[in-house]
Amino acid sequence: MKVTISELKKIRFFDNYDDEELNIFIRISSIKEFKVKEMLFEQYDELSDVFVLFEGCLSLGISLASEKRIHLGTLEEGQLFSWSAVFKPHISTAWVMATCPTKVLAIDAKQLNLELEKNCKFGFKTMAKIAQTISHRLSDTRFQLMNQLTI
Amino acid sequence: MPDNMNIYRPLKAKLTNVIEESPLIKTFVLVPEERFAFKTGQFIELSVDGIGEAPFTPSSSPFITEKLEVTVMKTGYVTEYMHSLKPGVCMGIRGPYGRGYPVETFYDKEVLILGGGCGLAPIRSLLYALEGIKDKLRKVTLCYGSKTPVDCIYKPLFDRLNSIEKFEAYRTVDRADEGWKGSVGVVTILLNKIDININNSVAIVCGPPIMMKFGTIRLLELGYQDNQIYLSMEKNMSCGLGKCGHCMMGEFFVCKDGPVFTYDEIKHNPEIWK
Repeated sequence: MKVTISELKKIRFFDNYDDEELNIFIRISSIKEFKVKEMLFEQYDELSDVFVLFEGCLSLGISLASEKRIHLGTLEEGQLFSWSAVFKPHISTAWVMATCPTKVLAIDAKQLNLELEKNCKFGFKTMAKIAQTISHRLSDTRFQLMNQLTI
Repeated sequence: MPDNMNIYRPLKAKLTNVIEESPLIKTFVLVPEERFAFKTGQFIELSVDGIGEAPFTPSSSPFITEKLEVTVMKTGYVTEYMHSLKPGVCMGIRGPYGRGYPVETFYDKEVLILGGGCGLAPIRSLLYALEGIKDKLRKVTLCYGSKTPVDCIYKPLFDRLNSIEKFEAYRTVDRADEGWKGSVGVVTILLNKIDININNSVAIVCGPPIMMKFGTIRLLELGYQDNQIYLSMEKNMSCGLGKCGHCMMGEFFVCKDGPVFTYDEIKHNPEIWK
């Protein structure tokens, strides 16, 4: 299912993109739906799509060697995830599961990389947003770790 | 010197109710022997005869002067004893002390409140104060995080806030249990879902030092200016009068110059997040 410009404009991740840039996303992405408890991907899966949560609820976590699943947190609407799809070796660092009926925008990572190379302004803007997402995740993880280490 | 001239002499207050908020946190409802007024964000020294006194920021409405509520986490000698108290005992109150929230400067603005753990106690008082002036405010958004759903205090407060015009409240927990259906993660993840006009807003941060540090960093990253962020630096207050030096933080006495500071005022202090 294809997404429309007006739908993208409602999503926080796409703030500051002009219509031409939003059309790039429309060309290379589609909406995917997931049922409750359906896995979007497992940890260590090879990823081909970058996702943005459109509506619904997603849990993110990691698996230990014992195969025990550790739930690290939830994702909020408008958040980007599975950014590992953009970078080599394209292997996911976490698993993500739908905890209610969920719609995500799946952006083809190979095509996105081509667009990022082709269009510097679009490329810089998008890489800055991905870097910010990773920075927030790292900062939240530090915060979470320090919370666990203190009373 | 007559007793009523002694600034260290506490006002008697009868403990009329004890509410268990979480396994480690209780709210004490006190009726002072005379009306007791405070400004939201100011603190009091609460004493138990023969045990000692400790500083707390009231969690009740500043518009109510005949009754006072103080929410206490069991963390040390005095608070552990307080948790064993039953209604009927007499306690002592000194204060109010310090500088509270300058709510009159929030008029016509959006107010974003970031709270963690027991930091919701002073925030509840602030929320009551803001509710009283809601016609003069644009919006009030509360983002609150607790370690687990059980550790969340004032649970009915969230539904109540979401039913008030211009107010919205969000919760998250670090670790969910079976019954939890909401957000999971540190309180800063809630900032991903709120919609706020940063240029016309103030942010208030109150909670454990780690939460205040990461919360402030994220607010700055979102575009808040140093003087738009208010921090409730409740630590080490003792005499309440700027005399004992127990709470000194750089050039400031937290008890007298705070406990509410703008980030701009204290950002250069190396002890800010300790």
